[in-house]
Amino acid sequence: MADVDRVLAGDVRAFEGIVRRWQGPLVNMAWRYCRDRHRAEDLAQEAFLRAWRALPQWRRESSFSTWLFALAANLFRSELKRFPTVNAPIDAAPEPFHGATQHHSLAAQQSSEKVRRAVLAFPARYREPVILYYFHEMDVAAAARTMGLPEGTFKARLSRARALLKRRFPHLEAENAGMESSALNNGKEA
Amino acid sequence: MNLTKDNTASEDRVGTGQAAINRILATEETLIPSSGFLASVMERVQEEAAAPPPIPFPWKRAIPGMVLVTGTLGWGAFEFVRHAISDVHQLAFTPPHISATLVAPLEEAAWIALALGVSLVSWLVSRRLAGRSGLL
Repeated sequence: MADVDRVLAGDVRAFEGIVRRWQGPLVNMAWRYCRDRHRAEDLAQEAFLRAWRALPQWRRESSFSTWLFALAANLFRSELKRFPTVNAPIDAAPEPFHGATQHHSLAAQQSSEKVRRAVLAFPARYREPVILYYFHEMDVAAAARTMGLPEGTFKARLSRARALLKRRFPHLEAENAGMESSALNNGKEA
Repeated sequence: MNLTKDNTASEDRVGTGQAAINRILATEETLIPSSGFLASVMERVQEEAAAPPPIPFPWKRAIPGMVLVTGTLGWGAFEFVRHAISDVHQLAFTPPHISATLVAPLEEAAWIALALGVSLVSWLVSRRLAGRSGLL
């Protein structure tokens, strides 16, 4: 807040403190939207620039982080609408491979990545609630505020997104359980 | 009895599925911004801060011209409709009587009004497009 006040008083260098504090969260948030490191940094940089321009309009009705995340989410949404990431449609995302493999941890990583990619292939109204819900560590209120949606609407969209995921990956729990037990057995044998 | 067991198993499966999804999506790798990120952002912010403020649109000067153009267009439209209605009532085509000395200046004024109108429309459209693309 002190940095914000100094920036508003005309101290441009004070903005460095804001960037230093929020660069990690914003880059990671952008990463969840596009899953491309370079693009995530570009998007986060643009978000900081927008924040710099819009800082005098921040009315302090909400916390600075809420305002910053909402601004960033709006930017990421519009930028990805203009230049979408290349994603396969959700039905084309393959079911995580359930075969005997010696590299269980690698297979688990791959199947997790497929689930994350499948989320990016959702229609925008279901994709963003999932991204923001897990970005905010499953805090529905914070995620809903970032999207500017009532909590009820947010929950409904999140629930629909989860249903889509479960329908797409019906054997996910069995596979994960299988992998975990195999990993445990391997650990015991070792 | 079996039905109860099936239901419980089904609920457990749903719960496990949800837990698996939660586990996958919640355990996301954490990116650390590259070393030059902070400097790069601050460079752009400094550039922005050093740049002169955008020149505001001169509304005070433009408003009289815009009022004139709007008035001319409105008057033209009104006259057009009035002539069209009177023509319909007469059911016979009688060209409006305008003396030869007035024809040329009227034609020039009409062209000027048209050009101003087109300019106004194109300005409004470009402003709208620039606004949509985030340039404004």
